Amino acid sequence: MGMRSHEEGHLNLVPLVDILTSIVFFSLLTYAGTALAALTSFDLVLPPVVVTSPDEVKQLKKEDDVLNLLLAVRVANDHLEVEHSAEGGFHTRIDSLSTRSLDSLQALMTEIRARYPSNRDVVVIPADNVAYDDIVRVLERLKKSRFSGISLGTKARATPVTTP
Amino acid sequence: MRNRTRDLRTARRGQQFGKFRVTQLNLVPLVDTFVSIVFFTLTTTTVGELAPIVPGVTLPETTVGTPALSQLTLGVGATVTLGNRPIMATLDAAAEPSNDPRFPLKVPTLYRAMKSLADSLRHAKGLGAQDDLKVALAIQGDKTMRYDLLSRFMATARLAGFTHLALQVQRVGVGP
Repeated sequence: MGMRSHEEGHLNLVPLVDILTSIVFFSLLTYAGTALAALTSFDLVLPPVVVTSPDEVKQLKKEDDVLNLLLAVRVANDHLEVEHSAEGGFHTRIDSLSTRSLDSLQALMTEIRARYPSNRDVVVIPADNVAYDDIVRVLERLKKSRFSGISLGTKARATPVTTP
Repeated sequence: MRNRTRDLRTARRGQQFGKFRVTQLNLVPLVDTFVSIVFFTLTTTTVGELAPIVPGVTLPETTVGTPALSQLTLGVGATVTLGNRPIMATLDAAAEPSNDPRFPLKVPTLYRAMKSLADSLRHAKGLGAQDDLKVALAIQGDKTMRYDLLSRFMATARLAGFTHLALQVQRVGVGP
């Protein structure tokens, strides 16, 4: 009788182990790599356009639609150029696309962002032969400089093009 | 005699309490099921909405940005895919000239696929031909792709009605 009062209840863990085994099996089967959770995106806005006709001016809905600073970063394979329209025009060139050059770009863009706080837009104009990887490295630095309205521009073409 | 009376009393009590039989409720399968439900709920709400990488594409890497959610995706690897559906070989897309002099960057085959998709989305949403589609198109391009090709894909997408574009890249390390 005394022995019986000290009997321990037992929990049947077998179904739990079965379920966990199923979960592990299907998790391994459907594993798509950790890269699934490691994607990020650069949202692009449309590049600014120069409005000349009165009809186009009427289509502007609010003051925010009008840029007060036209800021552009040109990307070539061997250099970067930063231009903006304030104070009679600004233009500077940064040689190469090395990490040090990108650091200089980030410092300059941070300074411009601080000087013109109402402007969050920047147009990136890569040359045709620039690799996508290099463009993303520039976009990354612009994000770090707190520019949120990033657009990608391209030079105007008159004839149909094909890509080499 | 005394024993007999006791036996009768015991039998009578047994009859009385027999209807109050103690039954056992096995909660173990219920707990197991709840464990499964909680597990799959957590994984599908967090992982299910995250964007997968288009197969065969080596994305550029960055250290900034928040996790990208699953969107309609244009993949550019060896093949151009739209929503995981192969459209054409990337080399063919690069070599295909525009058939519209007003839009020299247009890739006609890709444009047809995108326009068809945009029209079906407009129809499903009850939008007019001139209304903003409000569907973001994510581009997952190989990091070796040149900008002139990327700009053609972007121009074609905008021409087809996808004005909200995003470049999806792989996030590495920890950044701000």
